[in-house]
Amino acid sequence: MENIDAVIIGGGPAGLAAAVELWNRGIRNMLVLEREHCFGGILRQCIHDGFGLTRFHETLSGPEYAKRFIDKAEELGIPRMVDASVISVSEDRIVKAVTQEGLKVIRAKAVILAMGCRERTRGALQIPGERPSGIFTAGVAQAYMNLYNRKVGKEIVILGSGDIGMIMARRLTLEGAHVQAVYEIMPFASGLPRNISQCLNDFHIPLYLSHTVTDIRGKGRLEELTVQKVDRDRKPIPGTEIIHKCDTLILSVGLIPENELSLGAGVLLDSGTKGAVTDEHFQTSRKGIFAAGNVLHVHDLVDFVSLEAEELADCVARYLKDKELPECSVSVLPGKGVGQMVPRKISGTEDVTVSLRVTGKMENCTIRVMQNGREVISRKMKKALPAEMIRIPVKADMLDQNGDVEVSVL
Amino acid sequence: MKKKLICIVCPNGCEITAETDGSGKVISVEGQSCSRGRDYAVQEMTDPRRTLTTSIRIEHGQMPLASVRLTAPVPKDMIFKVMDCIRKIRMNAPVKSGTVAVRDILGLGADLIITRDVPAEGTEK
Amino acid sequence: MNGLFDVMIIGGGVAGSAIARELSRFRLRIGVLEKNLDVVNETSGRNSGVVHGGFAYDTGTMKAKLCVEGNRRMGALSEELGFKFIRCGKVLVGKSDADYEQLKKTIEQGKRNGAEGLSLISEEELHALVPKAVGKFAMLSKNSGIVDPFQFTIALAENAVKNGVSYFFGAEVISAGHDKEGNWILKTEYDSYTSRWIINSAGLGCGTISDMIGIKGYRVIGSKGDYIILDKRTGPLLPMPVYPVPSNTYMGIHVTNTTDGNVIIGPNAENVTDFSYYGVTQKNLDYLVKSASEIWPCINRGDFIRNYSGILPKWVDENGVIQDFKIEIREEMAPHAVNLVGIESPGLTAAVPIAETVVKLMQEHGFRAEENKDFDPGREKPVRFSELSDEEKEKMILSDPDYRELICRCEMVTKAEILRALKNPLGVCTMSGIKYRSRAMMGRCQGGYCQMRIEKMIEEFRGKKPEEVLLERKGSYILTGKLRED
Repeated sequence: MENIDAVIIGGGPAGLAAAVELWNRGIRNMLVLEREHCFGGILRQCIHDGFGLTRFHETLSGPEYAKRFIDKAEELGIPRMVDASVISVSEDRIVKAVTQEGLKVIRAKAVILAMGCRERTRGALQIPGERPSGIFTAGVAQAYMNLYNRKVGKEIVILGSGDIGMIMARRLTLEGAHVQAVYEIMPFASGLPRNISQCLNDFHIPLYLSHTVTDIRGKGRLEELTVQKVDRDRKPIPGTEIIHKCDTLILSVGLIPENELSLGAGVLLDSGTKGAVTDEHFQTSRKGIFAAGNVLHVHDLVDFVSLEAEELADCVARYLKDKELPECSVSVLPGKGVGQMVPRKISGTEDVTVSLRVTGKMENCTIRVMQNGREVISRKMKKALPAEMIRIPVKADMLDQNGDVEVSVL
Repeated sequence: MKKKLICIVCPNGCEITAETDGSGKVISVEGQSCSRGRDYAVQEMTDPRRTLTTSIRIEHGQMPLASVRLTAPVPKDMIFKVMDCIRKIRMNAPVKSGTVAVRDILGLGADLIITRDVPAEGTEK
Repeated sequence: MNGLFDVMIIGGGVAGSAIARELSRFRLRIGVLEKNLDVVNETSGRNSGVVHGGFAYDTGTMKAKLCVEGNRRMGALSEELGFKFIRCGKVLVGKSDADYEQLKKTIEQGKRNGAEGLSLISEEELHALVPKAVGKFAMLSKNSGIVDPFQFTIALAENAVKNGVSYFFGAEVISAGHDKEGNWILKTEYDSYTSRWIINSAGLGCGTISDMIGIKGYRVIGSKGDYIILDKRTGPLLPMPVYPVPSNTYMGIHVTNTTDGNVIIGPNAENVTDFSYYGVTQKNLDYLVKSASEIWPCINRGDFIRNYSGILPKWVDENGVIQDFKIEIREEMAPHAVNLVGIESPGLTAAVPIAETVVKLMQEHGFRAEENKDFDPGREKPVRFSELSDEEKEKMILSDPDYRELICRCEMVTKAEILRALKNPLGVCTMSGIKYRSRAMMGRCQGGYCQMRIEKMIEEFRGKKPEEVLLERKGSYILTGKLRED
């Protein structure tokens, strides 16, 4: 068994940023484990631009953004492995991985979970109908096109107005496919407005809100879809059926943090984010196991993933030096208007950044952080969308060490 | 003519209303949060441009494609012609991120650069 | 021309493949004509995977007799053929006096049928077995169990191939006639096969084939059932199948554990005439959840992985009453033809006894053949990396570099296992064929991470163009070509 101070599971943007920052903080005995053949995580297939605007003040493609960190890790000589799949993490931080060198068993002082997320599938959604070929989640279609050099279809319908779905709408159109429409079950789009503009409006691809796919037909390949308008409870309205003759259905219906390894370690998950319940040090309910990036909560900007991972690395560096971190017994509770929120526990003695998503589109709203009946901080926002993660920095001197904190949006 | 735009420069996606006069000159821009947004609106109303990200075929590489992008936006109505040109490109591995694949593509003032390293097949990474 | 076969089996599902294997104990030229591109695409791969105790069938029927026998021998068979079988038992839960009486009757019937290990248990005993089951009392069938229906059917077919049987896929029989010598001529869309004997084990197509070979008049209806598959994390909550009180025509909405640790909810039952429609409706999904939650209230949307449906071919009389298995030879109408009609539940449990019944029947009608001295009844159990101990994992990794690469993350399937699945003796190369043989793509992400890799491996291993790789059925192409041509 090897003994390593910090094991980082995942060599994508979160894992790499954490590794570089850990190194900068003087940690040397570490190892990044990446299951793919190359580092970069999901960025490898995100060939569109818009990455790095806040961090590097440039608009980069996914691979270019990842390269900044990959090159840095190379330059620093950070211990790292590709083709290394972690198969289990125990609650006392024994990490097992299938690697080219054999089955690696590592005793880690700190484990950093950076596994990213997976896509919600048709099966999970339970869309009725037959199961012909031609149904893909957006990420799979993206991987086929951008990594494997394969085309997925000609007549396309997209379900879900997530960013990936809209970006694929543009990608497919530019490659000669015909995207007939994008349907979204909610009354608001789940992706960024600028993607509606540059991916859909630019190509005259219609977006229909409050609609969903209610039937799928095809014996071999997809032949036909039924789409219906839905009511306020998201139930299909009879009589509103639209039939689409098409050969491809792309699903962009949500990302789920990939926490199977975390569950194996007994880490508690938050039903809102589907990621680990963490404190302000990014520590999960298991001592010495930390999480950042999409595995903690789904981000919309990779720049914040890197920032978050660096904040985590600072905490892990402290943890390795001091063997423990200050207790976080103050609960941070999501109030009205708050859909997801991280962290869920704080100490009240340190600066902390609360990241949250609102439950619906809001205009002229105020985000209020309250503790013990007192307003800690408030921020007015002209516009708030569930698609955009909001970060609220709170200074230590504004907080008490006792009494729950509640965050709400009105 | 009044037009509602969503600015695509940064993730804020400000809703901008821009107005042009009879001759196509921009006479008002409202709703932006910064000067880049204003510039975007003016550009969009007079000479809309777009960047492009796609892939080119790499031969004898560890991967079949290299992702590419334009270094500057080109006229929106030329996008599909630029795509036709890009589809024909073949390059041999190894290629490095940052390399210019096509200089001043179709004379539109933008280069096409490679955005991913593709090592030659059979080499160590 | 394909030459003269001794026996041609129409339908390569669990019954047809069991028959093929039994016949391969003799020195014969045997072929199997399978309509689909794999042996598990219809009823054999669309069921609950339960090995029934034999108590739910009328005494004196073939269903009862062959089920009891199949159940008894399933343990040894699973060892011999290397597929998963767990004799976990089963409970039928009840709450009313009427339920209690029915269960008593069921035990009586079971005893008459020769089923063993049946008893009535109290609420405490029920909860000691399945803490989450809801019921005031239950019937326990100790000998019931669960099997992996894909592995079982594939194992029978692969062993048949090992012993000399030829399988033809995409070979739907469209006409049957005779040549001058009195041999059968079976025509498919593209080919023609001549054989001394034929066997109708066409499952859903049994009525059509029976008509085709001259035995007319069987009324076959389809009983369609939908199922929901739940995430493995629900597995520990269901150590054995939980059923409501049964009737002799329908098992009821039950919940079943699988040999891989998932839970299946269903099936419901509705009569259908379109045997090619396997779509699942919202109405049925909601009904399954509502009904099954009454006996096992652990069903959450967040645990849904996917759903599927299956259709059972039921032979019914003019009043719609479901009949027994029919295994017959009608010399006057169709000489040298074994006709199997209505092989529905418990067809999976009874597959090998059904096959032996077929062979005995053939022998009673003059069928003679030499023993195949090279017959090998065994099949090696495929390695499941995910189920090995750490030491065994280490050993495999060091012995074979293809064990060092995980292709399917959710189910922990290595490249070695995918390659083994690709090299399968039946020559199946659809995405779902690889899925059922390796378990890749059956997990939470449903192939989100690995399907691209597997598609690429099929292209390379089979020399196929991207648009030629199929998902499961004819015409189910996944890709339309390369993005950038070479």
